[in-house]
This record gives sequence, C-alpha cells and structure tokens, in this order.
Amino acid sequence: MKFHWFHGMPWPHMPDDFRDRNRSVWVDADASLYDPVEGGRLYHEYLDQMEYAEQVGFDGLVVNEHHQNVLGLMPSPQLMAAALARRTSRAAIVMLGMSIALYRPATRAAEEIAMLDVLSGGRIVAGFPLGTPMDTNFAYGANPAEFRRVYREHHDLILRAWQDPDVFAWNGESTKLRYVNIWPRPIQQPHPPIWIPADGISSETWDFCAERGYNYVCLASRGIAPAQAAMDGFWSRIDARGVERNPYQCAVSQTIVVAESDDEAQQRYEPHFDYSSRHTLDDYPGWTEAPGWRTERGIRERARQTKEALANPETPRVPTWQERLDSGSLAAGSPDTVTEQLEHLVTTLQAGHLIGVFHVGDMTHDLTLRSTRLFAEHVIPRLRHLWQDHEDHWSPRPIPIRQPRARTRDIAGVNRWPN
Amino acid sequence: MAELTTLDLTPGGQTAHVWQGGDPESPALLFLHPITGIPRWGDALDALAKDFRVIAPYQPGWGPAKDDLPGVRDGLDLVLFNVDLLNTLGVGTAHVVGVSIGGWIGAEIAAIRPDAVQSLTLVNPLGLWSESHPGEDPFAQHPGFPTAVLFSDPDRRAELLMADRDPMDAYVEELLDLRASAKFLWPIPDTGVGRRLMRIDTRTLIATSEHDNVVAGEMGDIWRAAIPGAQSVQLAGSGHIADLEVPEALADLVRNFALEGVTA
Repeated sequence: MKFHWFHGMPWPHMPDDFRDRNRSVWVDADASLYDPVEGGRLYHEYLDQMEYAEQVGFDGLVVNEHHQNVLGLMPSPQLMAAALARRTSRAAIVMLGMSIALYRPATRAAEEIAMLDVLSGGRIVAGFPLGTPMDTNFAYGANPAEFRRVYREHHDLILRAWQDPDVFAWNGESTKLRYVNIWPRPIQQPHPPIWIPADGISSETWDFCAERGYNYVCLASRGIAPAQAAMDGFWSRIDARGVERNPYQCAVSQTIVVAESDDEAQQRYEPHFDYSSRHTLDDYPGWTEAPGWRTERGIRERARQTKEALANPETPRVPTWQERLDSGSLAAGSPDTVTEQLEHLVTTLQAGHLIGVFHVGDMTHDLTLRSTRLFAEHVIPRLRHLWQDHEDHWSPRPIPIRQPRARTRDIAGVNRWPN
Repeated sequence: MAELTTLDLTPGGQTAHVWQGGDPESPALLFLHPITGIPRWGDALDALAKDFRVIAPYQPGWGPAKDDLPGVRDGLDLVLFNVDLLNTLGVGTAHVVGVSIGGWIGAEIAAIRPDAVQSLTLVNPLGLWSESHPGEDPFAQHPGFPTAVLFSDPDRRAELLMADRDPMDAYVEELLDLRASAKFLWPIPDTGVGRRLMRIDTRTLIATSEHDNVVAGEMGDIWRAAIPGAQSVQLAGSGHIADLEVPEALADLVRNFALEGVTA
C-alpha cells in the first residue's frame, strides 16, 4: 500500500458574512479578501507541511490546479512541484494535475513535466484531469463544447512529444506545430506514470484509463458509497478487458484526522472542517454545468439527480461530525479507529494508493503536523502490508539517491548528482 | 400543414433536418432559430406560413442535428449550410429572419451572400459584444432550469419550451442546444460579424425585446448603426426567445417589414 499527502492550499481567512456579499467561492469571489503578504506566509507554511510529510514517511506529495478559487490557491501546480523538487529527495511528486486542455500549445505542459521529472530525478506522476467547469470554462474560457476533444488531442500530443525521438509536425484541430522536438525529455521512460483523477461517475474516464492502462484516481469527497460506485465502474472495465485487477492501478482520496483518541479528534479538529464546509457550500449553481461539459450520456445520468434535488430541495448545511464519519467522507479518530476505517475503505475499493487530505480549511499548522505524524507512526505501518503480492507499475521510477554528505544534507536536490 | 423532413444538401453534402410549411408559391422565408432551437412547429412559424413558404432548419448541433456539431467549425460553415439548403430546395432568394443566435447567422449570410437575401430581420441578435451592455451570461445558469433567463418570466420556460414534451428528452435537448450555442458564442458572444456588417446591402430591421435579459435594448442601436440603412424597433412584452413568447407580434413584424416595408 502506498500513502500520499495532498494539499489543497485553501485561503483560511474567509469572513463569516462572505455569503452575504459574494455568490461563490469560485470564479468571481471578491479578490480584496486576499492578502498577498499573508498569502506568502501561507505558501511557505503549506510547503513546510508537505516536506514534513516526506520526512515522516509518506510516499508521495500531491498538488493540483485550480483557478480563481478561494479554497485552492494553486493556479500552477508545476510551480509548487518545482519548489518541492528542490526541497525533497525521496517522495513522488504527484501532479493531479495539470489541466492539459488549457495549455496552448500543449507542448508547454510536456516541457514543464519533463523539466520537473529531470529536476526531481524522476519522481513525477503526471496527472491529466479534465478540470472543473469553474476552472476550465468560466475562469480560463475554454469552450465546453470543444474541450473534451481538445483534451484528447493535447493528451496525444504530449505523449508523442515525450517519446518520439525525431522532430515531427503536429497538424491537429486545436494545435498546429511545424516542428515538435522538446528539450528536455523526462528521466522516466517511456514517460512518467499517468494518473487520471475523476470526481463522480464518469464512464468515459473508466474507459480511458482501462484502454490506456492509466491509474484511475477516485476523488471520494462525498463518502464511500459514491466512491464505491465509481470504483465498481472502473473495475468492470478492467474485467471486461480480461486484465487481472491490480490495486495499484487506482488511487482513492480520503480526508483524514488522527488524534490520540476519537474524542480528541472531534474536539480539536471539527471547527476546521466546519469552516471548510461552510465555504465549500458557497458555490454558485450556474458555474457547475457549463453547456457541453457533460456528454449526452452524462447529462442523462446527471439529470435524474438534478430532478430529485429540485423535487426535494434541502438548504445546504454543514454536516455534523458523526454524519461525516457515517458517510465515509472523513476518516477520523484514534490510530486504531482510523486504521480500521481506512482498511475497510481501501479493501472495499481495492485501491493501492491512498491520497490523504490532512489539511482542510483553516486548520492550524500544529494540528496538521500532529495528525500527519500520528498517521505516519501508527497507521501506515499497520496498512503497509496490503497488496504486497501485487507489483506497483504506477509509481515513479527515480534514479538512485547518493548518500548525502553532512554539509549538503539539507539540500536534498543535489544528492542525486556527482559534483 | 408543416412537416419535418431530412434532406441531403448540395453541393456540401451535409444532412439537414428542416421544418417546412406554407404555400410553396409564396415568397420564401428562411427562419433561423434561437439558442433554444425549434421545440415544435410553433405559433410563430404557423403565423408566418400564412404569407410565406417557411423553411426552418435545425442548425448543425441543435435538436435532431445534435450529432452534426463536430462537422462545423465557425460562422462560415453555418452560412454554407444554409446557402446549400436554399440551393437544394431551389430557392434563389429568401426573406431571412433570425432570432438570438439565428440573428448572427442571418447577418453572416447577408454579408457573405447578399444575393440570397431579399430582406433581413434580426430579432435580439447575438454576435456583437459591448462591455457597457454585457447582459446576463446565458451559459452560467442554474442547471435545473438552464434557459429560464432567456424568458421574460422564468416560469415561461416550462410553459413555452418544455410543455407537451417528454421531460427528460426536452431537458437533454435544452442542454445540447445550449452546448451548440456555446460552440459559437463561448465565452463572450463576439463572433467577429461586426467586421462584416458594413457589407450588408439588403433591407434590414433590428428588433429588440422589451424584457430581454441577455441582449440589452442598447444593442439594437449598435447593430442598427453598423448595418447601412438598417432600422430598429422594440418588441413589447417579450424576453430573448421572442418566437415563443410573442409569436403573433413577431409574425406581424416580419410580414409588415418583409412584404410591405413597414416598421411600425
């Protein structure tokens, strides 16, 4: 079993009356609420947390891409990946990822991922998300009627740019390039592992991952039942191809809190979850379904839910701690409790990679590190053995680390290369 | 009585799904539908068919032509589709009426093939952008009732667009019609037609609706100023989808202007 540490990098200072003055945390939230000086302090604090996760034994550090979003201050995951590449030496850097449909030309994405792979000594996971309508269509203006086709074209171009040894011409609908010949090329050959994150039911994503042999990332933010439906769909596609299930071909994300006891977890951490939920609810419905975002099949699948929601309107509210635990959207408590919850989750879903979300909302630095440390010390060792009879083909294959010399111990990046 | 037929077009080879009604000997009228497509042979088309041979195609991407969207890239492809349709039907020239996104397509046809257009009526046309009069974003709406903003009263969507249809099919078509519109109007409805409007030399009437949330009344003045000799009027009591909201008034407006040259 592999364990990864994710950071969403939220803004932790939202006023209580935000909803009265703004219709959404995404796209058009009042930017005067952002303080750049405090923002700089936060970036360093958040990166410190990720570096700490490597020190205590996590296998990967996970960054992602959002735009014009109060709860995700990472428009460029590659910048954060670059910072991590210099300050870490062992952990995978999992980019979940770059929204490849937004890069024009897409060779820019191929180049930057190759740069990061070289800089990190071959530790990059290349995540290729479709993105969200808020990020992709409303903030970045990508045409929703076109972007699925653009995504596929950019995917094909990036893969070829990494692998084709010769200069080639690309005559696509979205991109036309007379000379493609990127420098540098990735250390990992033929290319870094590719992971595809998907939120919710997306049969197109199941097919894409199964056909290409990519890792399917199930973002289980809504609890275990929807996650299981998504995973069942993915595994059915693997079964249909007559391929043996390998748990390392999928990852599941899970929000996690570990404390000394179940009571302490709730007492100390619940207010931070409430903050996060309170503001996550502040998303304007008009941003959620850019026309063309879903295929016709997706529209029909979604329409039933929309109809039910409209027939039984519920005022969005912050769930209780117990509701979070019952739905499985949160694993929290003592090390024993969390171990039990997560063993159930990953064995039910057959997931070989667990992406832990240890920081949410306005959680303090100390609480974040404490939960991270308790997890690494008391939970990871008890779940590590899972899936040991399977080979992980979806983690990076870095070049070996040289024994660090004392004076360069704190500059991790130099330890791979002779000087 | 009207009928919906499928035609193979020449010389382009596309397939057209087209409503036709009225006396074949009457003057031809090409109706270019709004964002919401053609939910049925409605009152506006029926009223127009009293005086015209009405030709009302689904543009590629809308309604039964939903799968044809990838085959068109831009306004020129849409112009050629409509010109090929007239050609296939043996119609040399037609009165052109375009509502909403159909207004943009009509203006493109008149600019590129002026010989094919006898008169031009643009109702709440999209296709030009003014930062001073942006209107509501038709694509950033609640997914439960995605086109409600296009009506003078949100409840009129259910009454005029969704009524007498299978609810799921109507809803899916509503979203796919919006997808087709987004292909040409995303993220800002500036199609570039403004660079071609001075080429229009046919009689042109611009109509804007009193309660259009998407195309502000001031946009009518901007269109009128850009098209040589154009006139403009206001349609009372309607939102953006005037053919569904005020079908009789729309038909009167078109009849008076196209056949009599009267704009009152």
